[in-house]
Amino acid sequence: MPPEEKTLAVAADPLPLSSEGEALAAPGKARPAWEAARTLALRLGSIVMMLFLWWIMTLFFPPSLIPHPIDTLMEVGAIVNTGQFLSEMGATLRRVGVGFAVAMLIAIPLGILMGTIKSLENLFEPPVILGLTMPGLVWAIMAIMFFGLNEISAYAAVAITILPMLAISLWQGTKSIDKDLIDMSTAFHASAWSKVVDVILPQLISHILAAIRYGLGLAWKVVVVVEMFGFSNGVGYQVVRGFNIFSMKQVMAWAITFLIVMIVIEFGIIGWLESRVTRWRPRIDAWRR
Amino acid sequence: MAYVRVEGAVKYFPREDGSDMLVLDGVSFDTKEFGITCLLGPSGCGKSTLLNAISGLERLDYGQIKVMSNDGAAKGQAPRLGYVFQDPRLLNWKSVEQNLAFALKGMRVVQTEWPQRLGKYLDLIGLTEFRHQFPLYLSGGMRQRVGLARGLVIEPEVLLMDEPFSKLDQLTARRLREETLGICDRLKQTTVLVTHDVEEAAYMGDRVVILRARPARIAEVLENPLPPGRRDVDDAQFIQFKKLLLQSVLQLMERDKVSL
Repeated sequence: MPPEEKTLAVAADPLPLSSEGEALAAPGKARPAWEAARTLALRLGSIVMMLFLWWIMTLFFPPSLIPHPIDTLMEVGAIVNTGQFLSEMGATLRRVGVGFAVAMLIAIPLGILMGTIKSLENLFEPPVILGLTMPGLVWAIMAIMFFGLNEISAYAAVAITILPMLAISLWQGTKSIDKDLIDMSTAFHASAWSKVVDVILPQLISHILAAIRYGLGLAWKVVVVVEMFGFSNGVGYQVVRGFNIFSMKQVMAWAITFLIVMIVIEFGIIGWLESRVTRWRPRIDAWRR
Repeated sequence: MAYVRVEGAVKYFPREDGSDMLVLDGVSFDTKEFGITCLLGPSGCGKSTLLNAISGLERLDYGQIKVMSNDGAAKGQAPRLGYVFQDPRLLNWKSVEQNLAFALKGMRVVQTEWPQRLGKYLDLIGLTEFRHQFPLYLSGGMRQRVGLARGLVIEPEVLLMDEPFSKLDQLTARRLREETLGICDRLKQTTVLVTHDVEEAAYMGDRVVILRARPARIAEVLENPLPPGRRDVDDAQFIQFKKLLLQSVLQLMERDKVSL
């Protein structure tokens, strides 16, 4: 729940006393509780609505094609209860996590350098654009052919698929940073490291967060493909197993576990991160009347 | 303390078509020691370029700029210069205090000295109760105060200010001018202030350097007849000085055919 957290974080700062003449915009006031409740209700409502639509479809299709939502959710429960969830999801998460971290460690410096040094921009622009155009499936196949069926190929496939996208977003973000602030930091003799950490990176935060979200979406897709090709564990492997025994229920149950993990990452980890790093920015209230 | 000596400063800017445009045409002057020197001239005359050259953000093509210590000898390299910009140019993701600390870090001030420095200058500029606030929650006037505090906290030999009040509303600007004048006077701070506002120059400047436009040349150097504490906008002597400045600037603009 990012919006609520943001408001609370701001209110926790000492409130400015509006002093003579130079009054201040007060930080976002704590919103009434019912508004938070409404947000939650809307979100839950959208989930209920999706389940309802699913149930409607079961009326028109046999269970082998569209299994009943309750049966499927029971299957999810079974997956979680037997401990399969932890082991399979753990394997998949590890592959995504390692590949993602590698891509990020390369993309941040690469994007900043491309955005600040013209010759490096010219040098790296073609490979980055080409890399973006390459389908993730092709990278997955090439990684498996090159590294064989082992963890390295999964890490490599994930990293190389999302790297161009991360690099582009940081490169464009760097080009849009405030040049005046760079001049300011030069005037105060800030070191190169301090310019990166104190001046450039904070301006890239929203680009980095957007890149993380989009990058994670891509990473899931690639890792499932890699696992389908012959890994013996991971969510992708389980989905293929469901396919082989033609159990739509199994396929959907594993897809749902995936969604649950995504929701936890999106609203829990990334949302929390976002509210922490954008505490300094007043909330945008564009449609307030 | 110190003052700045500008000697034969020449600067060209490249034009779009590849030719060079002369911006500074042999500018020479000394700034006041322990006081405020105003560089006054019409917009776009090269005042800011001159200030950037003093700060080292801009390199001169000919001539030199020295920060002299009070015994008249040129100081060693890298004099400590504080800068206050037209826009406050704060790091919005850092609190007021962290913005000042950023300057201390850049100027390699030893960390044990930070708390005392921060406390002193936050107090002097009336920011103590806002020290943990983020800039975007402050008014424009308060943000410019933070910019001023950042320029002063490094205890610069020379403070450089580039039209620091021009983006503020009239009342806030007026009040901040008063306070800045008082603070600079109290600290005996050698300051160079760039402005196109004649009244501001008459009020702030112990010495006023009037620049001709395109390229910038020195037209006149005038000393303010009134000490900082006695500059009252209604005082007859003040009004006279202001008129003198205004006349010079208007005459120059006439002669140089500066169109507005």
